[in-house]
Amino acid sequence: MAAHSQGTEFDLSWISKIQVNQPAVLRRAQQIQARRTVKKEWQAAWLLKAVTFIDLTTLSGDDTFSNIQRLCYKAKYPIREDLLKALNMHDKGITTAAVCVYPARVCDAVKALKAVGCNIPVASVATGFPAGQTHLKTRLEEIRLAVEDGASEIDVVINRSLVLTGQWEGSNFIKTSTGKETVNATFPVAIVMLRAIRDFFWKTGNKVGFKPAGGIRSAKDSLAWLSLIKEELGDEWLKPELFRIGASSLLTDIERQIYHHVTGRYAAYHDLPMS
Amino acid sequence: MAATRADFRAREIFTTLEYGPVPESYACALAWLDTQDRCLGHYVNGKWLKPVHRDSVPCQDPNTGENLATCLQAQTEDVAAAVEAARNSFLSWSKLPGSGRAQHLTRLAKMMQKHQRLLWTLESLATGRAIREVRDGDVALAQQLLQFHAVQAYTQEEALAGWEPVGVVGLILPSRFSFLEMMWRICPALAVGCTVVALVPLASPTPLLLAQLAGELGPFPGILNVISGPASLGPALASCPGVQKVAFCGAIEEGRALRRMLAGEGAELGLALGTESLLLLTDSADVDSAVEGVVDAAWSDRSPGGLRLLVQESVWDETMKRLQVRMGRLRSGHGLDGAVDMGLKGPGAHVLAQDYVREAQKQGAQVFQAGDMPSDSPFCPPTLVSGLPPASPCAQAEVPWPLVTASAFRTTKEALAMANGTPRGGSASVWSERLGPALELGYGLHVGTVWINAHGLRDPAVPTGGCKESGHSWHGGLDGLYEYLQPLGTPARARFICENLNYDTFGLAVPPALPAGPEIGPSPAPPYGLFVGGRFQAPGSRSSRPIRDSSGNLLSYVAEGGAKDVRDAVEAAHRAAPGWAGQSPGARAALLCALAAALERREPALASRLERQGVELQAAKAEVELSVRRLRACGAQARAQGHTLQVAGLRGPVLRLREPLGVLAIVCPDERPLLAFVSLLAPALAHGNTVVLVPSGTCPLFALEVCQDMATLFPAGLVNVVTGDRDHLTRCLALHQDIQALWYFGSAQGSQFVEWASAGNLKPVWVNRGCPRAWDQEAEGAGPELGLRAARTKALWLPMGD
Repeated sequence: MAAHSQGTEFDLSWISKIQVNQPAVLRRAQQIQARRTVKKEWQAAWLLKAVTFIDLTTLSGDDTFSNIQRLCYKAKYPIREDLLKALNMHDKGITTAAVCVYPARVCDAVKALKAVGCNIPVASVATGFPAGQTHLKTRLEEIRLAVEDGASEIDVVINRSLVLTGQWEGSNFIKTSTGKETVNATFPVAIVMLRAIRDFFWKTGNKVGFKPAGGIRSAKDSLAWLSLIKEELGDEWLKPELFRIGASSLLTDIERQIYHHVTGRYAAYHDLPMS
Repeated sequence: MAATRADFRAREIFTTLEYGPVPESYACALAWLDTQDRCLGHYVNGKWLKPVHRDSVPCQDPNTGENLATCLQAQTEDVAAAVEAARNSFLSWSKLPGSGRAQHLTRLAKMMQKHQRLLWTLESLATGRAIREVRDGDVALAQQLLQFHAVQAYTQEEALAGWEPVGVVGLILPSRFSFLEMMWRICPALAVGCTVVALVPLASPTPLLLAQLAGELGPFPGILNVISGPASLGPALASCPGVQKVAFCGAIEEGRALRRMLAGEGAELGLALGTESLLLLTDSADVDSAVEGVVDAAWSDRSPGGLRLLVQESVWDETMKRLQVRMGRLRSGHGLDGAVDMGLKGPGAHVLAQDYVREAQKQGAQVFQAGDMPSDSPFCPPTLVSGLPPASPCAQAEVPWPLVTASAFRTTKEALAMANGTPRGGSASVWSERLGPALELGYGLHVGTVWINAHGLRDPAVPTGGCKESGHSWHGGLDGLYEYLQPLGTPARARFICENLNYDTFGLAVPPALPAGPEIGPSPAPPYGLFVGGRFQAPGSRSSRPIRDSSGNLLSYVAEGGAKDVRDAVEAAHRAAPGWAGQSPGARAALLCALAAALERREPALASRLERQGVELQAAKAEVELSVRRLRACGAQARAQGHTLQVAGLRGPVLRLREPLGVLAIVCPDERPLLAFVSLLAPALAHGNTVVLVPSGTCPLFALEVCQDMATLFPAGLVNVVTGDRDHLTRCLALHQDIQALWYFGSAQGSQFVEWASAGNLKPVWVNRGCPRAWDQEAEGAGPELGLRAARTKALWLPMGD
């Protein structure tokens, strides 16, 4: 993830000065999805780029070593080799940005990645995911254990009771949501967060990363997210150190689109390997 | 599978993540042009009209210059043929029950839906506008317009009882317009039962396609006729017998010229002029969202024109920085590319912009341009102009698309002064998260539309229009319907032009008045002087004119008012205006009732005076009573103005406000010296205007008598009465730039002069064309028409959200 920002003196007045007009942001969210599209080889290239931003995620109660192993293999080989060859992208080393699992599965993930010879990071949700309503002591212990098991990135659920009472916490990567809420990554929310990231960068020179998570399932969605980042923050944010997409089923759809781009046919369910 | 050459690009794009072309096929547009053999004529009475021996003009793709088709240029006889067709179909179309018209409009909406791809590709191809804007914005809105007005037609018989369609409507559209401008006007016109002849500029195929779609629906082929020709055919269209109304949208100077040209032609003229908009950004705004507002207002193909941007000084730097960053992300290009923000907007738009930029630089402004655009086509990039000296010509001129001219303000008061300090009054948006200042600005702006924290929203149910030199015609909503309606039984408008009327000398000189013998008027004698600023004053000319009764006896002398007296009266009226406009309708009604009571007390004197004018005693008493009643009723009617609209897709209300016009000048008719005076004065006051009034020429004494009561009851300057030579005073009023509206009831010549002279500040005028009016009839003396003309509409959009 991003190099730790040096941090800055906490100044609540920055937050209290921020004005957000909800209807205007909603309109912008609508427009941004309609105003930018990419087609043909641009679409293919953008989709492959999107793959490199994915935190390939499984956060289920019934996760075991076997499906974690499958996930890690998919993370290493996200797109069928012949499709990449057709696009002349087979030597680019395209993998997802990370795999993201529960703390108890970190061990499995590290092992499985090692087995396929892949050095992408293992991210773990920790700190009482998804509600964050546990004691600070256990939260910290959870992080310590996950790191011990080999996780190199931790998605922390902030204590929202503190936020709602105006006691903010700092961060060097912010995420729209846990993906476990009824409403997750939406464009209007993202626009507000991205503008805050940009303002913070202008004020301090620190680049904070951004990760939308939850509900991003289609290739088309992922393209919209990429152009949103491009429009609101600029190209310098379009790298895995500063931008991730938390998703589980998105990759399959991207692969289907690439398949269609290369072959001109729509893929059957069994044409592509499962993750 | 072998990697193709194209796929090698994927490698490169993977690194740069650039946008690529998203071309939209326009094969169907070309196929449609082929059905016309690439030669576009006119569409009249359900048939293509391709007369021989006409000049032709090529219709080109503005990006490439590729010839798409040739267009035949119309001549006067083609216009006449179209008007004839519209006249014939008016007979059946206007007699159709509202439900029949509604069905027809709904069918047209469906027809458009079936051929929408053809519509949007043709429009984008011919104009160069971004296809996304045409597809998602214009075509969708065009269908909504048809559907909305179909519903209006359904309910017309009940909702608009007492009104009838005006007749054949001539619609004149400028070059560089979107076909949507045509839809905004033909929908209400057709809905209420009018038929239309649209004169569109050459090389604009979309209106022709629309006419074809409408024509092929069957039974009423002649309701929409489209003629393509130069703007110079406008007067020919307007003066065609049968054309009752001319609607024009375009540049301000074109509108002014048309106003002068059409003086006395008979047809009513509705102007919607200028394209500039205004954006006020306060220090409590969501600046990022406001920047998007600027993009919507000036740097997209949604916006019709340029933008004046007023930014509060404390957020100036922050705003400029964000604007410049945002500009860098805008993309210009071929309109048929799906990922382009700004297309070409018709040939020639970039020339206007570049001229303005060059001038602004000469006058000392800083110019910032950015954005991604192809180098080979005639594009003007998004441009931000700042630091223009306030007095420089560019700061006064209309800002063209795609330019933004920014200047700073310090306080809300200053913002209002700067915003209103322009002759234009189209639309504006206010960006503030504080309700109080936002509404203060919203109500205080002299414009037709105000959006709070949004820009450029439109809806068929919301009236859109302007004030001042932006013209005073409306489209959309109820106001849009009234544009094409007239009170039942209004006689057809005929040409009343007096060819040898000399505009330079009309009413210029006042014939001298000499002593004419002893006065034999009743005692006490009516007050002498001009009623200006709340008191009676001696006229600047220091002379008087005699007033005689019906048998020729000298009743009295009245003051001979002149240009300077009119000037003083207008100034007094302006001083009184803010106070009066700020009163509640209830308070105004109370004051009108007080005047009514005073009039009642004077009844015997007034009735006997009327008797001396040759009115029977019984009738005279009835007339005074009616005058009293009108005063009382008017206040009550004005209370129920304005309303709230609910709009699809918008959370929050849109307020339709009825605001005072400002200073209203009224030239009363000679007939009915008391009743007409009261009937005109009452609605003007009830709607919050202040008034400069010229009373009946033959008997101004009634007005002066009522002035005695107004002197004690009304705030000074609310009503100012100037007596004297009517032609001379009319001239002074019509040429005055700071009078917001003028009602004239007098001779045909005077009416013609008023229409001609109103072009100066494009004030709305209401003239009687020399025809007398039945003041004692309810419809003509106190009908809803007076209330409509006595105030102007403003739409205030208030989106809400948490």
